[in-house]
Amino acid sequence: MKRTPDEERVLERMAPGVLSRDGFLGADPRPLNEILATDQAEVDGLGVTHAAIAARLRAVLLAARDAFGRSVPVGEGLSAVYHEAMGRIPSPWPGEGVFPKGEIELADQRSGHTICYTPLSVHLIEAHGFYEGRGSRYRLEPSEICRMLGLGEASA
Amino acid sequence: MITVLAATLLVAGVSAVLAAILLVAERRLVAYGTCTIDINQGARTLEVEGGGTLLASLMANRIFIPSACGGRGTCAYCKVKVLEGAGPLGPTEEPLLSKEEVAANVRISCQCKVRQNVRIEIPEHLFSVKEYRARVETISDLTHDIKLLRIRLLDPDTLEFVAGQYVQLQAPAYGDNPDPVYRAYSMASPPSDSHVIELIIRLVPGGICTTWVFEMLKEGDEVLLNGPYGDFRLSDSQREMIWIAGGSGMAPFWSIIRHMDEKGIARKCTYFFGANKKRDMFLVDEFRAIEKKHDWFTFVPALSDPAAGSDWDGERGLITEVVDRRVEAGGEKEGYLCGSPGLINAAIKIIKAKGVPENCIYYDKFE
Repeated sequence: MKRTPDEERVLERMAPGVLSRDGFLGADPRPLNEILATDQAEVDGLGVTHAAIAARLRAVLLAARDAFGRSVPVGEGLSAVYHEAMGRIPSPWPGEGVFPKGEIELADQRSGHTICYTPLSVHLIEAHGFYEGRGSRYRLEPSEICRMLGLGEASA
Repeated sequence: MITVLAATLLVAGVSAVLAAILLVAERRLVAYGTCTIDINQGARTLEVEGGGTLLASLMANRIFIPSACGGRGTCAYCKVKVLEGAGPLGPTEEPLLSKEEVAANVRISCQCKVRQNVRIEIPEHLFSVKEYRARVETISDLTHDIKLLRIRLLDPDTLEFVAGQYVQLQAPAYGDNPDPVYRAYSMASPPSDSHVIELIIRLVPGGICTTWVFEMLKEGDEVLLNGPYGDFRLSDSQREMIWIAGGSGMAPFWSIIRHMDEKGIARKCTYFFGANKKRDMFLVDEFRAIEKKHDWFTFVPALSDPAAGSDWDGERGLITEVVDRRVEAGGEKEGYLCGSPGLINAAIKIIKAKGVPENCIYYDKFE
């Protein structure tokens, strides 16, 4: 399917080396529309919304941010560390502003699993339902986040 | 089938011809000619070929406006006040400017095209900014994720700067990164040796420039940088100082303290430096040596999360908690802060609560 100029621009900005070293699509062979649609369907199936997921991730980010690199408890069996970094990174969707660099490590002591995301991740999920491509460092699987954070049907 | 193929080829051919006509038309008909850029009410006047961005036009004339993203309109460093001739604000500029900046005619110079004569205002110190070819003398590890680069200037071979200022280091195109990018780093060396500069660089996961520094840059490599930039520096007052930093925020203070030591600037100063674990702490011995030499200087390193059983004998807790414990009346003091936005914001709150006047708080937010 032909892409619009706006979609082309977003894809250009998602490529490695444009806004970040590795870009936003990882090794995902799927077109962006398919990535978005698949994750949308998964989120709908979990009985949650992108906004709810983003809100929870933002709450974790804010709690960790105020600890300046120290690990903080953020829920039952969960701890988070915010590694701040110098600089800002813009959204790949043009005109949406810039976001602090740095990453949040959210660890689940119950499963031993850890996920990584950024302040920009929270915005991309909230504004676009974009969880990044598979293989990207900051790719978040909706079902996994919901299970960790006790959201929707994944937590049942 | 042949008819469909022929029709497809015809449409493609017509589209290509139309595109070519448009390109030629733009070049021939939309020619802006020579435009004048008046800088600071006639202090400098440039004649440039119209059609390019303001940033590119200035850089082509060796006037370097800070820019980290290579003109992609993402870093918002390249703000310039355009008094006349800029045209309407573009959609890629708006999200990067505050209402106050828009009202003050500030523009994102890499997104603003020069299509007619323009009048701009830039800070005077930008006239002193130059581009430098330099060679990396040494790369040493300060911690597991922070390196110290010692860089010798080649052409020009001297860089005059004020302790506290920064340069922009260029990471060249490499791997999947098609274009060079610039990133700002505070100079960690004192201004006394104008032939060499030191930079303290912390690895940013997925960062374009820091990945290049950590994985590709070698001693002996040539690099490009420009500077000096920035207003972060010692004030002219004699007020006692509180310094607060974390991580690579150490850099300007390492420059300033050595400058003070060399020049005999005996201003009372307490430096609070925060890190997470012992492996994140660095230059402790060097600062302790200066502390031993001068009774006006106190160094207070603090760990927020030392490992259980750690032999760390310094302060423990978040650096802001340590500042809160140890600083008393701040009404006659000044604050100097360098680090992440989160640290700066928290530190400002603490020292303002101690009475340090807002106009006596200086900071270099790493953003």
